[in-house]
Parts: sequence; structure tokens; C-alpha cells
Amino acid sequence: MDINYVGEQLLSGKIGQFFIILSFGSAILSFISYYFATKNPEITSWKTLGRIGYWLNALSIVVIGSTLFYIIYNHLFEYHYAYAHSSKALPTHYIISSFWEGQEGSFWLWMFWQMVLSCVIVFRAKTWESPVMTIVMLCQAILASMILGIEFFGTRIGSSPFILLRDAMNIPIFSDPNYLSLIADGRGLNPLLQNYWMVIHPPTLFLGFASMIVPFAYAFAGLWQKRYKEWMTPGLPWALFAVMILGAGIIMGSFWAYEALNFGGFWAWDPVENVSIIPWFTLIAAVHVMVVFKNSGHGYFTATFLTLISFVLVIYASYLTRSGILGETSVHSFTSLGMSGQLIFFNMVYLALMVGILISRRKEIPSSEKEEDIYSREFWMFIGALVLTVACVQIIATTSIPVFNGIFGTKVAPPINPIAHYNKWQGAFVIVILLLTAVTQFLKYKRTDTKKFWASTIATLVVSILVTALVAYFTEIYSNVMYILIAFAGIFCVISNIRVLGDALKGKWRLSGSAVSHIGFALLMIGALIAAATNKVISVNSNGYIAVANFDKFEKPGDNLFLNEGEPVQMGDYRITYIGDSVAAPNVYYNIKYERIDEESGKVKESFILQPFAQNNPDMGGLIGTPATKHYVSHDIYTLITAANSDSFASISGQKADDKTGFDAYDEPATYEVSVGDTLRYRNGYYVIEGINRDATVNNLPKGPEDVFFGLKIKVVAADQKEFVAEPIYAIKDGNVYDFNKDVNEQGLRFRFSNIYPDRDKLEVMVYQKPLPEKKWIVFKAIKFPYINFFWSGTIIMTLGFCMAIYRRLKDAKISKKIA
Amino acid sequence: MKKSSILLIVIIAVAIAMIMVIYTDSSTYSTFSEAKEKDTELYVVGVLNKQKELHYDPVQHANRFTFYMYDNDSTECQVIFNGSKPQDIERSEQIVLTGKMEGDVFHASKILMKCPSKYNKDEVEIIESQAAPKTALAN
Repeated sequence: MDINYVGEQLLSGKIGQFFIILSFGSAILSFISYYFATKNPEITSWKTLGRIGYWLNALSIVVIGSTLFYIIYNHLFEYHYAYAHSSKALPTHYIISSFWEGQEGSFWLWMFWQMVLSCVIVFRAKTWESPVMTIVMLCQAILASMILGIEFFGTRIGSSPFILLRDAMNIPIFSDPNYLSLIADGRGLNPLLQNYWMVIHPPTLFLGFASMIVPFAYAFAGLWQKRYKEWMTPGLPWALFAVMILGAGIIMGSFWAYEALNFGGFWAWDPVENVSIIPWFTLIAAVHVMVVFKNSGHGYFTATFLTLISFVLVIYASYLTRSGILGETSVHSFTSLGMSGQLIFFNMVYLALMVGILISRRKEIPSSEKEEDIYSREFWMFIGALVLTVACVQIIATTSIPVFNGIFGTKVAPPINPIAHYNKWQGAFVIVILLLTAVTQFLKYKRTDTKKFWASTIATLVVSILVTALVAYFTEIYSNVMYILIAFAGIFCVISNIRVLGDALKGKWRLSGSAVSHIGFALLMIGALIAAATNKVISVNSNGYIAVANFDKFEKPGDNLFLNEGEPVQMGDYRITYIGDSVAAPNVYYNIKYERIDEESGKVKESFILQPFAQNNPDMGGLIGTPATKHYVSHDIYTLITAANSDSFASISGQKADDKTGFDAYDEPATYEVSVGDTLRYRNGYYVIEGINRDATVNNLPKGPEDVFFGLKIKVVAADQKEFVAEPIYAIKDGNVYDFNKDVNEQGLRFRFSNIYPDRDKLEVMVYQKPLPEKKWIVFKAIKFPYINFFWSGTIIMTLGFCMAIYRRLKDAKISKKIA
Repeated sequence: MKKSSILLIVIIAVAIAMIMVIYTDSSTYSTFSEAKEKDTELYVVGVLNKQKELHYDPVQHANRFTFYMYDNDSTECQVIFNGSKPQDIERSEQIVLTGKMEGDVFHASKILMKCPSKYNKDEVEIIESQAAPKTALAN
């Protein structure tokens, strides 16, 4: 039966869906045309057709994005995407984040960036345009197929963001033509994603992922067109760009984790994090081998292979995070949309392209017969790249355990303590990498003067050892050999690269990009090491033992501290007090006052308030805490609520305890038979039955001649001698008996004058008392992260270095073009 | 032989050795009865026993949460978690515990919960139709 639904706005969805199909079709058209343009460069109409396809695709993507944004922004909950990812209360910047909370939106983001980057290729790539765009448009077509949402022969291809709510769900309310008026609000955005980093982190990360295809396409085109050596000149700046953006995106994600997630750190080796860092590692390795090849002619195959595999690994990453296969090992991957088949297809296509082209060109791939010299920069850069690759293999192997389980039907569980497991391996690798990055700075391409090399290396080494000793002493990492080694390798790397920078200042500043990024990377590692190795839970709770036999020996002091409102507790250097909540719906902010007190004078040296907050969202899984952090130059104090009493949330959900009209808010009543003049006790004082008011009136209730209205005068005296009066009423009207209660809200009391027993000369009074308000409390955890600013500043310096390197490589490309 | 070939062999050897070590590092999903026999930390997968009480009293002890769980063999066991109560554990469909058995009680150091996905939930929250407020007898 067809139902004419009321109030649906179907046009936008139809427009959106049309342009999704157009984007798919135009990408296919462009892909095919560019393919033939590459095959037959003399027929220019192929290339024109390819460009037309590209522009149509670009237009479609922009329209899809605008339409989807329109739907979310205007809260058109007839669309499932808007319903599932947004709500009316979201401020505009979080509406932007809800745009890419779902898989469909993030696929769109990926397509959008590829479209933007392609624009650069169309205008600037000249002879490379056709082959490079062939590869990019193929990817664009596959991505568009992910959001198609159309059934072919019974199987659904892709998942459209424009699907209607009533098509996505099968529930009875859709038989009501007016169902839209019944839907109050969308489910809203996951509170964890309501963080400003979530507005900027996904676009950056996806720009990184999207830009990974460009070096892939150049490397592929180089092999395809047999322009073997040429592709690296335009490919290298693109690879650097991809590495820079992806690196920045990953670190932004770790900043988000640190600021918004409650696992207490900036990196947890979660599979979702791992899969994004793997392609970053391989492309970094590729960049280095490309530079090796440009300077020495060695390593062509390795450079090409690493460039190609990087993009394949990007697709593998999206398979792992989007197919739901990580369900048991990861806390925050996407939920499955049942598209793993399509994702595997995507993976296979690009893997096949890579393997196919490498095999078909294997005889022609340039290789160098000459041996590398041990004292040459290229040899050690090459080794560094390989070590990086092996480090990747480790991360892939452990992260892919669920995939192997899926393929072989095994039931292997990941390591019981993943962080220790990864740190053990990656700690060793990072030492080797940092040492290589340091030592290589003293070597020259092709041949180095051995004496000079040893002289400068040993000099730097001595300085580094001294600095390491100081750093280890002040940051208290000397108890662990591994920590000292990492710190030493990092410091050695920084100092060696500062020497290079010193040379650069003498006029070769153009070449200093690599040194700057190396310094940034080393600082990042040192910061990560110190913050991760020496972060201390400062909310250690050693009291509150429950002395039960057999249990005490397991009881370690926990990490969580219990605080009652207004009762200060000493925690390390700080005296902390929970001073109450402030509510800004849907969040409750818990105000925790930190004070540092001078031991001698007893004066407060420093005082600040941290406001970690929590959002109670039953749709998303209960109370979700967001930490608050006090940033110092040398360390951070990080505070997170792990439990709290629920009163604070009651006010948000609109059921203020005082507003309850029923008797629910009260304890079981006590019933007394009293006489005038009696005094009775209640929890917080006493009350006196003062007398009966025979002329009582009740608002709006006319008193007939037969009716009787009696008021019972009660005086309440609280413990603090405050007095209140109440007069509950007993009434007989038209032969029926009623009673009208009276409250003394200040004391949480309610009186009912419920009966009169003239025979015994007694009055019946019922007393309701509200339960005593529970004292407000919170359970929280505080962690001190020392020197975490190295981590963040290292990131910024590294990104800056990449920028300088891109500038230099673009200049180089221009120069080489002039020479040619 | 070229240096690079030797290097390649070394690297491949390291990679293979590494992967083998990774698999000795890896664990298995066990049951409570297996956990009783072993003395090491391991994973136990199961479901929460919702009939029995989940005990968390932060006023008494902010770092102690106890509950009962059935493992995949339907063996029930008490679990003590040294931490605060995960907020949505009542809604969990599956729990993966990390920890070890001490006597008859499983001491968990980590709890990973699988909760019903909000995407698959075939439910729509509907505005409650408000009946006209009842005539209040008291003012």
C-alpha cells in the first residue's frame, strides 16, 4: 500500500542520488577516455573527453557534498544519515563533524580531496596528465561506487547517504503518514567526536590518504609509459606532500585522543592508529630511496615498489577500519556497512595493478650494477628505508591477526598487552632509525672521506652522550636502559642535524628541509618517550581497602580517587577539592579546584580549576567522560571523571526532583493518629499539631451547605530553628471525601490530613519525607604527562621541514626542466 | 655477492624471525576453566550475568567493581575489576576480559565491551504523546 507521507522533502535526496550516479558514470567515462588518451596520444579528443569526465565528476562531488550538508544542516530527519549522525542541538561546527561521522561522508571526503588534487594534475601535469589521471579516475570511480546504494542483480553496491529513514529501518511508525512529526530529534553525534579536533582531523587525514594516490599514479605511469627515471621528478614533491599531510593528520588524531578520549594518552597502538601509520612509514621510506636514486642511481626498484605499496596499504587500512573485521580488537573503528566485498575488490584492483606492471616491466627496470660504497650516504639511507619497512611489517603482522583469523579460520588473540608488545619492537626500530638518521648526516653521496667522517661523528657522539646524561637525570628516565638508548638516539639525531642546519645557514638553506624535519621527528620521539615513559597517575588511591580475607593481597592501590563535594584531598603536590558542577546541556562540567600550597607559610602558591566534563547519552552508551588538561611548559596535568552520581544529570533530562508532582520523590509515608497539641519528630526537626481550622477554603472549589472543609494547622520547626507552617485539608463534598496535601519544600516534607476519627477524637495525618539528598561525589583519575610539549613541537617542526623540502624539490624540478 | 643481496637476505630473515616471535607473543581467547589451570594473564570472552548484582560502591572503594560473567562454555565466575565501573556494561552484548584467575575469582585488568551498535538499532525515539495534565487537587 502506498502511503502519502506528510512533510517529507524528497527533492534534495533525489538530486543527491542523481549526482552520485553521475559522479560514478563520469569517473568511468573519464577513466576510459584517459586510458585511450594514454594509448593514442595523437588523438586529442580522447584527452578532451577525459577532461570533460573529470569536470562532470568534480561538479557531481560538489553537488553531493552541498546536498548532504543541506540535509544535515536543516535537520531533514527523513534521511537516515541526518537522523543517525546529527541532532538539532548540535552547533554548526559539529554539524560539520557529523558530516563525516558515517562511512558515506568519509568516502565523500576522500573523493572530494582526490578531485581537488586532480585539478592540480589536470592543469600542471602536462605530458603526465593522461596516464596519471587514468589511475586517479579509476580510484574515483571505485570510491563513487561505495556510496552508490543501488542494487545490481540482488546485491547492493555501496551505501548511499541519501537513503530515507523509512527505507533504512523497518518499524511500525512508518505506517503513519505523519511519522515525521513523531520524530523529535536525530540520534546525535557521538560525544567523543564533539571535539574541535574532530572538525579538522578527518579532513587532514583524508587529504593525506587522497594524496597518496598521486605518487602511486606517477610511479605506475612511469613504468607504464617506460619513462622510468622521469617520474620521480614530479613524483617526489607529491610524495613529500602526502607524507607531510598524512603525518600532520595522524598527529592531530593523537591530539584528539589525548584531549577527548579517556584512555589516558596520545597513542595506544589501536589498530585504527596502526593502519594509518603504516602507509606513512612506507612512503617515508620511499621518499628516502627516491632521493638515493636521484643522487646515486641505486635503488630504483625499491623506490618504485615502496611508492606503489604505500597506496595499496592505504586501501588495506580502509578495509580494516571499515569492514568491521577489527570488531574484537579495536574500540573505535567504523561499524560494518556490509561492504567488505567491495573493499576487498578495491584492494585487489590496486594490488593487481602494482604486481602486474612490476612483472611486465621486470626486465626493463633500471638497476645499477655498481656496488655502493660502505662510506656513502646512499648505502645507509637505503638501509634506513629497509629498517622502516621491517618496522612496518611488524605493525602489519600484529594488526592483521583478525584478518588471518578470518582467512585461516584460526582463533589467535592479539598480544595480551598490545602497548608493551608494540613498544618493545618499535622501540628497537626507532633507535636504529634515529641512529641512521644521525650518522648519515656525516656521509656524502658516493664517497666520503673516512677520517673526516669519524672525526665529526665522534665529536657529535660525545656531545650527545653528555646531553643525554643531563636529560636522563632531569626527566628521571635513567632506570630503564631502553629509555636511555632511545633518548640518546634522539638527541644524537637532533645534534647531528643541527650541525647540518649550521652548514645550511652558511648559504645552503635550500637544502635544510630534510635537517629540519629530522630534528622535528627526533624531538617528537623524545617527547613521546618521556611523556609515555614517565607519565604518572597522581590520583593514586591507597585507602579504601576492604579488609576481606584472601583479597588484600590482590589489592593494589587503584588509579581512581573518590572525592566528596567540598572535602579537600591532598594529591601529590596539590590539594584538590571538588567544588560542584556546572551544567551546559548536554554536558555536565565537574569543577575540580587544584591548589598548590607552600609548605612553610601555608599560603596557596597556585590555584586553578579543571573542568573535565561528561555527557550522559543513553543512545551512545551511557556516561562518556572528556578529560580536562592543565598545560604547563614542562608538563600537563590531565584529569578525567570515571564515575559520578547521577543527580547532576537529572536536571538536564528535565526532571528536577522538586517538580515531581507525584509521590515518587518521597519515601514511604508514616501515618499517625494525633490530637491537637501533639509534637512529633521528623528527620530534621519536629512539628506541632496546632489546631484545626474549620473555615478552611480550597481554591476554586465552591463550598456547598452540606460540605465540610477542615484544615489542619501544623507548625514545622527545623533543626536550625526555622519555622514553617502548613495546612493540609480534609474535605467532604457532596458526600465524597477528599484530602489536599501541603508541602514544606524547604524541608522536603509533605503532609496529608487523611482522616478524622470523631469517636476517638483523633486526627489522622500522613507524613511524607524526601530521602536525604545524596552528597555529590565524583571518582576521577589524574595523570601527569611530563615534557609532552616536545611531542607537539616536534610535529610542527617536522611539518615545517617537509614544507621546505617540497619547495626545494619543486625548484629542482623546474631547474631540471630548463636543462632538459 | 653484492652487498645489497646480502642485506636483503638479512632483512628477510629478520622479518621472518620477527613474525614468528609475534606469534609467540600472541594469546588465545580462553575460558574460566582454562584460566584456572594457567597462571598467566589471558583473555576470556563471555557475557555478563545480568541476573546477579553488579557491585560498585565508589563511596566505599572507588577502584573495585565486581560482577558475574558467563564464559563461552557457560561457566559462571565472579570477576573483580580493579577500577571504576565501565558505564555501559549493562548494555554489553559481549565482554572480553584481560586478566588472571586468583583462586575462584577472576581478576580483570582490562574490560573491553561490545555494545549493540547504534547503527543497527532498529529503533526510533518518538515524541511521547502527552495526555492533558491531570487536574491537580493540591495547589
